[in-house]
Amino acid sequence: MMTSSERIGDVVLDVQDLRTYFVTRWGVVKAVDGVDFQLRKGETLGIVGESGSGKSVTALSIMRLVPSPPGHIVGGKVLLEGQDILQLADGEMENVRGSRIGMVLQDPMTALNPVFDIEDQVGEALRIHKDMTGEVLETEVVDMLRKVRIPAPEIRMKDYPHQLSGGMRQRVVGAIGISCDPAVLIADEPTTSLDATIQAQYLRLLRELQELTGVGIIFITHDFGIVAKMCDRVAVMYAGKIVEQGDVRQIFNNPSHPYTEALIQSVPKMEVREERLYSIPGQPPALWELPQGCAFADRCRHTHDKCLEAYPDVFDVGDGQVSACWLREKETVSAES
Amino acid sequence: MTTENATNGSSESLLAVRGLKKHFQVGSGLFGRNKLFLKAVDGVDFEIKEGETYGLVGESGCGKTTTAKMILRLEEPTEGTFEFEGNDAETVGKSKDLTRNYKSNVQAVFQDPWASLNPRMRVGSIVGEPLEVSTVLTKTDIADKVGDLLEEVGLQRAQSNLFPHEFSGGQRQRIGVARALALNPKLIVLDEPVSALDVSIRAQIMNLLEDLQDEHGLTYLLIAHHLATVRYMCDKVGVMYLGRIVEEAPTEELFDNPLHPYTRALMSAALPSHPDIEREEIILTGEVPSPLDPPPGCHFHPRCPSRFEPCEGTVPVETQPVPDHRVVCHLY
Repeated sequence: MMTSSERIGDVVLDVQDLRTYFVTRWGVVKAVDGVDFQLRKGETLGIVGESGSGKSVTALSIMRLVPSPPGHIVGGKVLLEGQDILQLADGEMENVRGSRIGMVLQDPMTALNPVFDIEDQVGEALRIHKDMTGEVLETEVVDMLRKVRIPAPEIRMKDYPHQLSGGMRQRVVGAIGISCDPAVLIADEPTTSLDATIQAQYLRLLRELQELTGVGIIFITHDFGIVAKMCDRVAVMYAGKIVEQGDVRQIFNNPSHPYTEALIQSVPKMEVREERLYSIPGQPPALWELPQGCAFADRCRHTHDKCLEAYPDVFDVGDGQVSACWLREKETVSAES
Repeated sequence: MTTENATNGSSESLLAVRGLKKHFQVGSGLFGRNKLFLKAVDGVDFEIKEGETYGLVGESGCGKTTTAKMILRLEEPTEGTFEFEGNDAETVGKSKDLTRNYKSNVQAVFQDPWASLNPRMRVGSIVGEPLEVSTVLTKTDIADKVGDLLEEVGLQRAQSNLFPHEFSGGQRQRIGVARALALNPKLIVLDEPVSALDVSIRAQIMNLLEDLQDEHGLTYLLIAHHLATVRYMCDKVGVMYLGRIVEEAPTEELFDNPLHPYTRALMSAALPSHPDIEREEIILTGEVPSPLDPPPGCHFHPRCPSRFEPCEGTVPVETQPVPDHRVVCHLY
């Protein structure tokens, strides 16, 4: 395997101050509220959060697939290889989706259309985005299937999804995701959990695809285990904002936001038996009645007055790790002086 | 703590299951020829000691939920016996009193707290329903007891007037736990009790279940696919594959010294808790075969990395290479 420094290149996706709001009968829900992150070529970024944290809406916003109404992208920039795709006309955006930004769904059983054969589904994006037809298209489809190691692709591409095993279906979904050689691949996790062995196969496939194409991957997940296994960098989301972001090892070894720390401590580990898990009190806040200060304050072990008064600034805690927590304020000040 | 109970070897077995089978008929040919049977559970034996947590793990389709359903008497076993507090299933089935006693002593907490609570009932009625059905308590007594139960699981008495949709996922699961506790059961079947919940809520529910176990001396049967959860909660674990238990051992022994190739593959596929943990990746070839037509010999042999001649033809027998550690594999 390549080391991460060989694999990772220039910034391909630069998300700046992204804001996506939903207008509901309870008021304006700020599902994504000022999110900043960058993704480099060949890098895997994990966006971790619980339900309602805004991780999936972030992904949908990048694809510009937020259902509207009620959702609106109200601010920010999404620079894909330098171009702000939020400014594109709808028709132009269609050319981006599926070609420069790909998507893979984790559940191979539901991601394929049962009434079309494999050739049709793998070839769809090539036909639309690259105007391929006839033999050229067929050769390309065979090539894609060979890349994801489907045996006898010339024959298997005439099959329908039900004729393939689960593992092969997963590989077909992977082939569709990278068929137009995208710069960014978004992998959104299903809400129901897959079996461990199926999930392991899927993660291995994604790694292979990345090594093959150098695509930058954004992993949307609630599971720190996936982050530990797959990601180079992590952004932790809570109540619509990124509360902490940094290198995966730094985040695990030295979490700088109490939410990240508590979340890592509250997950049981297979490697050791713990006597007692830390459990975070309370529950995630309702997005239509967020407090004035830090959204995590009422569940946090380190809350003080300032947390209730104002939402924390984002502090740089070193080596590219940033944290939106007032606890880090003193450290950064002392570091400067 | 549950670990103390585990070391107490003299504790009695509360539930013993022997040769449990459930075959579903899924099709019949002309005049009933060529009947097809789906062997969801195909000969399962285990024992749960009082005060312990027994875990059944395996992937979807391995039969762990069907086993739980039979223990809850929601499915009739095709074959096999139970023994609950020394009374076997035959005796229990013949006596109305024993049946009622069994049913109030064996309760369940289900996976999805959105689906397992009736949306049209108030929380008070949901938690109080078992008491209405199975006891002779008056309405005021029931309301009182429901209040106590809600407090016990970390909710407030006044919340008994609310409907399930007014609660978050974690709180709903607490309601499910309160309902399971209502009749002072001895055994609670926990079918994936935390997998539908948010990560930050899972530890709350797991710790609540542990605390209740300590306070009431409860016995749990935990059905789960997440190995870390199993390690945290269980005293003993059985690993199921295609309707059979392929390995069983006390939790620490199983995780420190997994013997069956399938158990090892499952553990290697589990996600690490830290980026520096690199596990040997055991790649299983192929898919879980259909339980309609399981492979001959050892069910696992077509996917097994360590298979050799006898695996294909002969069904392996159970051995105990280490005391109290059962494994069904030709390697041992």
